Amino acid sequence: MKKLLSAPALFAAAGILLVVGVVLAFWYSPTDSSSMGFSQKILYYHAPIAEAALVAFGVAFVAAIAYLRTQDMKWDRLSFVSVRLGLLFSILVMITGMIWGKAAWGTWWAWEPRLTTFLLVCFLYAAYWVLRSVVDEEQRRATYAAVFAIIAFIDVPITFFATRFLPEGLHPVVIGPGGGGMEGSMAVSFAICMLGMTLLLAAMIRRDYEIELIKDRVSDLKTSLGG
Amino acid sequence: MTLEEGVKYVAAAYGVIMAVIVIYYFMSARRVATLQRDVQLLEDEARRLQGGAE
Amino acid sequence: MNNWAQFMAILRKDLIRELRTRDMIVSMILFVLLAMVIFHYAFTVKEGTDLTFFTGGMLWVTFIFAMLLGLNRSFAQEKDEQCLDGLLLCPVDRVTIFFAKTAGNLVFLLIIQAVAVPVFALFFIERSFVGDLLPFLAVLLLADLGICALGTLLATISMNTRSRDLLLPILFLPLIVPVLIAATGATTLIFAEGASFGSLVARLLFLLGFDAIFLVAAWGTYDFAIGE
Repeated sequence: MKKLLSAPALFAAAGILLVVGVVLAFWYSPTDSSSMGFSQKILYYHAPIAEAALVAFGVAFVAAIAYLRTQDMKWDRLSFVSVRLGLLFSILVMITGMIWGKAAWGTWWAWEPRLTTFLLVCFLYAAYWVLRSVVDEEQRRATYAAVFAIIAFIDVPITFFATRFLPEGLHPVVIGPGGGGMEGSMAVSFAICMLGMTLLLAAMIRRDYEIELIKDRVSDLKTSLGG
Repeated sequence: MTLEEGVKYVAAAYGVIMAVIVIYYFMSARRVATLQRDVQLLEDEARRLQGGAE
Repeated sequence: MNNWAQFMAILRKDLIRELRTRDMIVSMILFVLLAMVIFHYAFTVKEGTDLTFFTGGMLWVTFIFAMLLGLNRSFAQEKDEQCLDGLLLCPVDRVTIFFAKTAGNLVFLLIIQAVAVPVFALFFIERSFVGDLLPFLAVLLLADLGICALGTLLATISMNTRSRDLLLPILFLPLIVPVLIAATGATTLIFAEGASFGSLVARLLFLLGFDAIFLVAAWGTYDFAIGE
């Protein structure tokens, strides 16, 4: 079981699913009949990346709570790498979202709910990074980072809700590409890509977490040798 | 938007994603290798010092 | 000494201290009034620009930045005079400190708003919104609560870091955006067209939910934020 969950195995599984997903998306699923046409194909990776980013922040949230309860540094490492990867995925969501926006609406940016929510998410977790960088003492840094990771994650669905539903009345919300239902063949490709991206995130978290643990081991060894 | 233009944008989006994943994978694999070598060196050093002390 | 008595004691200490010197409140009021003047020059480049639909935004941006200044000031003062360390030595529930500080900040913010809103109405608002005073106060109170609760929690953290005052806005602003969206929407509606409780119900409930959620979150985490 441990072998199955190791980083290389997860990468392999993710790779297979993502390749299969892409192939299905292009050769099996029909091209969207709406005005977006071919550019809708971006959705098959764009939305799974968004979902994976949110999962990453969820992992950070749970790890932060675990750290506060146990004071075990391993949870801080897990929280930290999850936020970093979540931030990377969020930036990818923004980039692919902007490319899709240009293809579908002709403009690189629009103040629509999805892009603005992920923009705020990027700022939120960039703030997490800044917070970590200005605290020197290890225990305190982990504690403050954990508190902020918890607060930040609670704010994410609230922000999504606020940008989508509140501005009505004074300013109509533009529902971006992707509204509406999905037919069967689209849903299959979509689900495979979703699963693949989630496994990819798991693989990357696993790999980064192991790197952090080895780094800790290296500095422990150096301290015991030098001191 | 013609099909050709659409293909260009889609290719750009997927290209960015693939590039990031591939770069990440190789950078982290190299990182793991370097760190494991460091651990090996440090552990050997520790063993050597202990052996010398006794 | 039970929790309520401790809460009142800390709150009274903070209020008396500030009301004796009044430097934080006076500075914040001056800042808010100056910001309004600056907004006028920033936005009316074209002669006769109608700022009606900007009013809610201007008001809340001003209050949020004034609060950031005030929080930095009051926590820096506490840290420098080591009041907080003294407080932590007493057998006080950490969470009581949080609620007392939040309440204190709320009082300061309300005082400033009591001065600022009439002046703002004088500068920017054509129609009288006295008829909608009650809904307006509801929005004000609920948004203020969210701002003070989150601000107090984050200021406690940021005060103990290397870049004290620079860090607080970076942590605070992304988190407060939902409150900003709800409050500016409601306020602009009141100033521009007039609004009853009915039309504001969604935003008011949202602010209420936001406050409830983050007060509970702060309750759970403040122990850790304030440290040993």
